Amino acid sequence: MTIWSEETQVRAKELISRYPDKRSAVMPLLYLSMAEAGHLTDEGMEEVGEWTDLTPAQVRAVASFYTMYKRERTGQYLVSCCTSISCMLLGGDEVLHAVESESGVPHGETDDEGVISVEHVECIGACGGAPAVQVNYELIEGFTPEKGRELVKWLRSARPDSINTDEMQGLFGGSTSFDWGIREEASAIGPYPAFQPFGTVEGKSK
Amino acid sequence: MSAPLVVTRRMTDYPGDSHTIDRYEATGGYAQAKRACSMTREGLVEDIKTCGLLGRGGAAFSAGLKWSFLAPERPAYLVINGDESEPGTFKDRQLLERDPHQMIEGVIITSVANEVHHAFIYIRGEYPKSARRVQTAVDEAYARGYLGKGILGTDYDLEVTVHLGAGAYICGEETALINSLEGKRGEPRLKPPYFPAAKGLYMMPTIVNNVETVSNLPHILEMGAEKFAGLAHEADTGTFMTSISGHVKKPGNYELGHGITWRELIYDVAGGIRDDRELKAWIPGGASAPWFVPDVHLDLEVTKEATAAAGSMLGSGAVIVMDETTCMVRAAERIVRFFSHESCGQCTPCREGTTWLEMILRRIEEGQGRAVDLDLMVGVSDGISIGLAWPPKMTTICPLGPSAVSPIKALKDYFIAEIDAHVEAGGCPF
Amino acid sequence: MPVLSELVTIKVDGQEFEVKPGELLIKAAQENGTYIPRFCWHNRMNPVGMCRMCLVEIETPRGPLMITACTNTVADGMVVDTQNETVTKAQEAVLEFLLANHPLDCPVCDKGGECPLQDQAMAYGPGESRFVEIKRNFEKPIPISSLVLLDRERCILCARCTRFSEEISGDPLIEFMDRGNKTEVNTFPNLPFSSYFSGNTVQICPVGALTAKPYRFRARPWDLQMVESSSGFDTAQPRLSIHTSENEILRLVGIDSEPVNHGWLSDKDRFGFEYLRSPERLTTPLARRGDNMVPVEWGEALDMIANRLSLVIDESGGSATAVIGGAHGTNEDAYALSKFARTVLGTNHVDSRLDDALASQFLAATVDRALIADLDTADTILVWGPDLKETHPTLYLRVRRAAQELGVKLLVVHPRRTGLDDRATATLSYRPGGGSQLLEEIAAGAHGEILEMLGGKTVAIVGQAGAADDPRLAESVAAFVRDISTTPRIMPLAARGNTYGALDMGLAPDLLPGRVAFAAEAMADTWGELPDKAGLDTRGILRGLVSGDVRALLLVGSDPVGDVPEPGLAAEALELAEYVVSIDNFLNESNRHADVVLPAAGFSEKEGTVTNLEGRVQKINKIAPAPGQSRTDWAILDDISARMGRPLGLAAAEAVTKEIASVAPAYSGLTWDLLEWEARDGAVVPLEEVAILGYIPVRVEGPKAPGAELTLHSARVMYDGGVRLRHCPSLAPLARGPVAYVNPDDAKRLGAQNGSPVKVVTGIGEGEFTVAVDPDTPSGVVFVPSHQPGGAKLGVDPVVRVTVMT
Ligand SMILES: Cc1cc2nc3c(=O)[nH]c(=O)nc-3n(C[C@H](O)[C@H](O)[C@H](O)COP(=O)(O)O)c2cc1C
Ligand code: SF4
Ligand code: FES
Repeated sequence: MTIWSEETQVRAKELISRYPDKRSAVMPLLYLSMAEAGHLTDEGMEEVGEWTDLTPAQVRAVASFYTMYKRERTGQYLVSCCTSISCMLLGGDEVLHAVESESGVPHGETDDEGVISVEHVECIGACGGAPAVQVNYELIEGFTPEKGRELVKWLRSARPDSINTDEMQGLFGGSTSFDWGIREEASAIGPYPAFQPFGTVEGKSK
Repeated sequence: MSAPLVVTRRMTDYPGDSHTIDRYEATGGYAQAKRACSMTREGLVEDIKTCGLLGRGGAAFSAGLKWSFLAPERPAYLVINGDESEPGTFKDRQLLERDPHQMIEGVIITSVANEVHHAFIYIRGEYPKSARRVQTAVDEAYARGYLGKGILGTDYDLEVTVHLGAGAYICGEETALINSLEGKRGEPRLKPPYFPAAKGLYMMPTIVNNVETVSNLPHILEMGAEKFAGLAHEADTGTFMTSISGHVKKPGNYELGHGITWRELIYDVAGGIRDDRELKAWIPGGASAPWFVPDVHLDLEVTKEATAAAGSMLGSGAVIVMDETTCMVRAAERIVRFFSHESCGQCTPCREGTTWLEMILRRIEEGQGRAVDLDLMVGVSDGISIGLAWPPKMTTICPLGPSAVSPIKALKDYFIAEIDAHVEAGGCPF
Repeated sequence: MPVLSELVTIKVDGQEFEVKPGELLIKAAQENGTYIPRFCWHNRMNPVGMCRMCLVEIETPRGPLMITACTNTVADGMVVDTQNETVTKAQEAVLEFLLANHPLDCPVCDKGGECPLQDQAMAYGPGESRFVEIKRNFEKPIPISSLVLLDRERCILCARCTRFSEEISGDPLIEFMDRGNKTEVNTFPNLPFSSYFSGNTVQICPVGALTAKPYRFRARPWDLQMVESSSGFDTAQPRLSIHTSENEILRLVGIDSEPVNHGWLSDKDRFGFEYLRSPERLTTPLARRGDNMVPVEWGEALDMIANRLSLVIDESGGSATAVIGGAHGTNEDAYALSKFARTVLGTNHVDSRLDDALASQFLAATVDRALIADLDTADTILVWGPDLKETHPTLYLRVRRAAQELGVKLLVVHPRRTGLDDRATATLSYRPGGGSQLLEEIAAGAHGEILEMLGGKTVAIVGQAGAADDPRLAESVAAFVRDISTTPRIMPLAARGNTYGALDMGLAPDLLPGRVAFAAEAMADTWGELPDKAGLDTRGILRGLVSGDVRALLLVGSDPVGDVPEPGLAAEALELAEYVVSIDNFLNESNRHADVVLPAAGFSEKEGTVTNLEGRVQKINKIAPAPGQSRTDWAILDDISARMGRPLGLAAAEAVTKEIASVAPAYSGLTWDLLEWEARDGAVVPLEEVAILGYIPVRVEGPKAPGAELTLHSARVMYDGGVRLRHCPSLAPLARGPVAYVNPDDAKRLGAQNGSPVKVVTGIGEGEFTVAVDPDTPSGVVFVPSHQPGGAKLGVDPVVRVTVMT
């Protein structure tokens, strides 16, 4: 009685096989179910319970503990602005306000078109390149309020079908925490981390 | 001052492809893993003990000792802690993205030394790029026989699973991390009885080590315990990575060895304060650490001992620098907000206390401060970490709660005037 | 009691104590008179150390260390300080933190007056709060089930309720949601906390966050009266305390009785008291005038009964009379009934079972009888019988704990998945009616590993899994276990609150009081001459009524029409019966057309003793008056006997217990004093070395599994249409109604989905049900909960046809 596509079911089985105990697969399965539905739905949590022999309440208890499992409708692009100490010291709050006002989307919400969600987050480990933001968890360092407005405009106009960190760093970024090395091929395709088997594509978006 | 680079050597010499297996093999990669396979467990554990390698995750506990405490029951597990979420810290991210094989070789050495056949690499959810790099490296290692069934031509099996977190700083705490890996809420476990070395992952003996810690292992085997120990200053051993951020000209990760002073670190290594402003305060070891101020601490040495003696810690190696333009109330609010947001919620003092402190600080910053608020904040802090002592007298299960009082202690010790200014001005004077 | 050498010494606040090693500090201290404040710790659950209220300081080589007393065990030489400055500071802080966001609505809170938070704020609190920020607020009480409400503002997040549902009852439907300061207890959206045990969470909630709808706002703790008693629903007879106000029961609270129920109750035990104040309770004797029942005076009613019974006896002898019932009263009521039948009516046609139970001598007197406590120390527990979660809820909790916490192996054998399967070491299922065949296979070694499991100390909980089970199957299983286990312990199961007491009082054709096999001369010097004619059991009596051999029937708290499995039999018997008298709380299908119905006192309205499934005798007490003119069974019978010229001579309940102790071997030595003073947890009979029936279970060839394509599994579940539940407004709606559970594959084959109406036909009965598609029911089996309101009787025939109705 699964609500998941054949492909997703295959991935679910593969994920469970990575662990000695199927309950350990709860977290990756929650991502998988976000990738399937765009965000974490009640049905998604029930489904994960079926796969791991947990009650839906137990699954929700786990899902609601972690901030990256979005249980409300989330946009195609999740813009996360870091306002923790190091980014705050270098203008993280101003970046957040710029993104919020340009997009018209306040913290924790999504625009009516379902394109952009905005949130402020705690430290994302980019303090050396502060202030930093992430789009679908792909990083931009050395950011500024101006770039924040451009980013929002770009996402709305270009509507890239995937988000590539190097491309965005090139368009909107500045100094980085450390030398990023050669280009990153994988890109994110939704408001969840791009990590196989959920939500990544190879090669940059056009 | 500048010790030879160890864990950042390869990425410095070969910025283009330090993360690839070809480069890794071409630069002596996996030779030490092979050697480890031919050594006895006792020998390996002994080596790591004598080299004095300390954990780089924050607790600075001897890696060799930790290994020697592992209970005899099997299966045993290894968990690599890549949850790096302590504000100001971004060193593990560099190691994961730029030299993943170095860590994997460390995983092989640790596993062989401790009879582990299944290791897990837990990477925070906000590091998908790091996770991808590590997964690719793991796949390559499997393909070339460094992982999987019968590694390196021996009959030793080693499986490695890369696990992605989902946004919870507390999962960096080793027992919370284990709960998370078991598919549960990332709530720290009670110690006793749940010491990982005895009742860890799936209630079996488990070693939890930090990314940087294990990344050192191939080098220790290569250069030998004594030489490695000699890289550092006095009681500390090897090199350690520090992430410098905030108001400095050259923020970033630096691999340090022989002891230097904070003055050298901030003004030479990190290039000094941006726009040559005045240094106001810095946090020496990640958001959890009590703050330092120039008049008192600038010429102290950057060592575990000296820092502890001065009532703080090197912790995760993150240094956050604040210049004269910084509002200390706002800075404190931001750090307390972090701990309140990241509290797992089990312990009454942490759950209620950190939120209470956050509310008071925000009230002061927004101009609703009262003369009594400092005493109140000290009182509330007192209930989380009795007497604001160092090391803390915790009323909680894990140190997260008590970490939240560090900024309050700083305000009380050095910046009372700024609070008064907020109260008088009825808002933030900055 | 461990000997001194096994103890360790600890020093608490300067005083030295010797305590059990491995004991939690908080417990050890309390047992020695030092109470360490706490909220989250609960004696019957694993510690979580979350509230931090129990912080104390111990001495260590590295100086004083603060630890939680609820999570640390004592060690020899441990030096503990529970009240120094640091500790006091910590306790004050925790209380201030807890109160910071706690609403100040104590005056309207059910918990007010019995609230640990309130009390400890007084005892250890810092006085008024320094919290001037805005308190956390949540939507006011939300119903998390049909019985329980949750007020999240009052919750202090002690995890008692969530631990209970996860660790103890095994239905994790309430959990912590979100984290940090936003953490809350809640259910999954639209998935209520529908647990048979939900009331326990209300009982253990240290604040007023969880409240029970039936109790909410009804009284304040300080105007409650209380007495101890035992539940009348569950044959384990869990211990409880009855709380009343102005003579009305307001709530029942579980008592932590080590040997019996650890403080837990099922919701049926806890909320199943509402029927007592039902407007439909009988309050006066009723006699039939034409087609209606009309109130009559007691004297008139008793005269009518005495005269008519005497007449029947004179004309056709005592064996023309019969008695069915007696399993819902006290031992004293049962004894009076047994004596009445044998010495006044002169009949052995006596049965407290309703043709749905195991052999009476097996139930009453098996050798190697198990105690509930044996479950904790067994190597293996075998459950081959009903789904304990449905029929013996507190026993289910004890078995679950043994398997989960005490490492006891658990083997469950049942036609479908049971509530214990998730904790079972091994499970076996069989087609309804095919149990004996499976037993033969096991005996023949078909399941080697299972034979091994049963080798050591094995507690065998045996009963009828469903209507189709051969009544002798359970006995055969017991006999088999006795053969292969080194230390067998047998627990034969029966339904109806005091069945074991009734049988011990001789309410079966082949039994006499005190676990003695019936023999005409057995009681020559106490009761005197007994009828020599062999007695009939319930089915025999009903047949006798149909044939006319039995002319008069006395029903005592029994409803054969509702309970006897065979469709039609009881209805026809009562239809044709010449004369029927009933002593009961309510009119039911059986006594609606009786000649005389007498109102009986019920639970909490009378004093006496009861006996549970392990043979434990406990005292139950009176706290509320019986409605109207209701009286106790034994007093009613005593009056009738006097009018019939053969007085039973029973003066008072306690005197009846004395008489039982003097005439019933297994009960000799039993007194109220004993139960009220020395043996507060009850006393397991026999107390003394006496000669009682040493019944040894026997193995009998059972029928082979039916070859049918579909077989019927029909069994009782927690909530049904039983007469008492029907009159409990809170519980009546929980009955499942006429449902037929079928496996998804069968549903497909039948072309049925959830809710499809189907007709289920057996050889002897048929009825209409709605389908529930259910993976827990194996394919080839149709599960129909019996005794459901609106559910037809299908009898014991396992072969069924199911057709979807269009
Ligand atoms: C609140 C808290 C957060 C922590 N976060 C991390 C972390 O992000 N990464 C890490 O390696 N260790 C972290 N630790 C330390 C771990 O508990 C553990 O000591 C460490 O991973 C052990 O590895 P090591 O001995 O190699 O340092 C944290 C500890 C606490 C109390
Ligand atoms: S101190 Fe805070 S984070 Fe640590 S266990 Fe307690 S509540 Fe959780
Ligand atoms: S009673 Fe010990 S922490 Fe709650």
